[in-house]
Amino acid sequence: MKLIRSDRKALYAFMAPALAVMILFFVIPVIYVIVVSFLKWNGISAPALNNLKNYALLMKDKSFSRSVINNIIWALVAGFIQVPLAMVMAIILSRKPKGWKFFRTVYFFPQVISGIALATLWRAIYNAEHGMLNGLLRAIGAGAAAKDWLGTIQTAFPAVLIYWVFYVGYYMVIMMADITTIDTSYYEAATIDGATDFQQAIYITIPLIKKTSLLTCVTLASVMGLRQFEQVYMLTNGQPANTTSTIVLYMYKKMQNANYGIASASAVILIIVGVVFIVCIRKLFEGRGDKPVVAKNVRRAVK
Amino acid sequence: MSETRLRPALHGKELVLAVIRWILIIFFAVYTLFPLIWLIISSLKTNFEFLAQSPFSLPSKPQWINYKNALTVAGLGRMLLNSVFVGLSATLVNVIIASMSAYCISRFRFKGREKIFTLFTAGILVPLNALMVPYFVIINKLGLYNTYGGMILLYAAIGIPMSTFLIRGLMDSIPMEVEEAAYIDGCGFYGRFFHILLPLSRTGIVTAATFEFLTCWNEFVFANLIVSSEKLRTIQVGIRYFTNQFSTDYVSMYAAIVISIIPSILGYVLFQEQIIAGMTSGAVKG
Repeated sequence: MKLIRSDRKALYAFMAPALAVMILFFVIPVIYVIVVSFLKWNGISAPALNNLKNYALLMKDKSFSRSVINNIIWALVAGFIQVPLAMVMAIILSRKPKGWKFFRTVYFFPQVISGIALATLWRAIYNAEHGMLNGLLRAIGAGAAAKDWLGTIQTAFPAVLIYWVFYVGYYMVIMMADITTIDTSYYEAATIDGATDFQQAIYITIPLIKKTSLLTCVTLASVMGLRQFEQVYMLTNGQPANTTSTIVLYMYKKMQNANYGIASASAVILIIVGVVFIVCIRKLFEGRGDKPVVAKNVRRAVK
Repeated sequence: MSETRLRPALHGKELVLAVIRWILIIFFAVYTLFPLIWLIISSLKTNFEFLAQSPFSLPSKPQWINYKNALTVAGLGRMLLNSVFVGLSATLVNVIIASMSAYCISRFRFKGREKIFTLFTAGILVPLNALMVPYFVIINKLGLYNTYGGMILLYAAIGIPMSTFLIRGLMDSIPMEVEEAAYIDGCGFYGRFFHILLPLSRTGIVTAATFEFLTCWNEFVFANLIVSSEKLRTIQVGIRYFTNQFSTDYVSMYAAIVISIIPSILGYVLFQEQIIAGMTSGAVKG
């Protein structure tokens, strides 16, 4: 729409609150953590330039590198195990089997329950004495395998990781929305040619959602994996022996000790890891110029 | 598609696929529901039943007293009210600001529009948890540490990029012609916003509001960061303290968690379409 002069003023007035928020809560904070990451500062005395010492300290700190590795594992599990599972369920439910709406609702539950409540629930499930998991193991006669899941070094991190992998509702719903936009004539033609549901999924559905919702989901899941805080905070607080820590939890603890320089440096590393992940995932999905492959698959499926 | 075709009796590969399909569907449903049902059943036991009997036994008599304990002893009622108040206020502020900016971005071409757009996109992807230090400092500097105002401002602010995207998406789908007629009739900038765009983009605004409220309701990290007083605690921060408060009274703790989950599930079942629309369109565009 054309702007007349009096409109221009109104436009700026309308845009101003949102812009102010974006600057105060997004631009300034990002610049802020970068600046503070080069300072030695406890929040009370005057900050002093600390050059790269915060980063050097982080590199030497074993519990930080463990946190970074945990976050990377977390992001990979989310992007490359949880999302593919979600994709399988999206493909299955978008064929609208009996009761699909009910199942879609149920799968989505964990998404609307807070991370804190979920983590508390799972802490109860993993509990050594009266947890549900050990109870289940005893009930099926495998009581010997019962253990303190979150207190044992070998099982703590896998236990923290595994419980949310099967909560696929969010990504499933995103991919289902995408799958419903696929032209049904592809499937009709494939069915006439005798292609099984499985073949249709491999040759039609997956190639067609790969660069859209699948890419989005893998990116989102990985980024979420890098942000993790509440769940570890609530389940283990990083214990035992720091084996379950994450970058944000590490940062939070440094902040509690008023070590703002180090906390900010770890925030900067988190942002960098995030950017690297987003770029790599994009490369991975767009890398081999597979547009023609998609077209060929579709054509093959249609023929 | 397959349901329109007459299916002959399944055999061989097809049968195997159908079986695998239903095993998966049921597995994921049981995996989600079973722990929740276990939590509810446990919350109705006595502590003795919970600790001494099998985790899968049923309570001999449902102990509603646990829920009463959770509401009175832990001050759960107050926390629920805090969450509702902060959530509604933040949502209101958020949606007003976001619909204004969405109107500008959707309807007008102006200098810097592209840059603003990029800024909003980056705002959706930035890991907000990494900004704990600056948020803590900003809220302190504004004199809003330990106030409702601090939480409301922060929640409204961090949801702006997402809400703007959701509302803009709907505004984009409204044809320009609708407005042009009004424009020719002399309807000004504000008139078009209040009388045309706002009513027509109702569904987008409801989606954004639902999404924002749910995010506020479930938010823990910042509520824990910028509030210390017990009186201002939201339900999520409360849950973290239940675990200490009820260190021996497990069943009341489970009752408290169930109470905190009920509004989320109820809200979801009521606003299912909006929440799903919000989460999917936001994600695809973001």
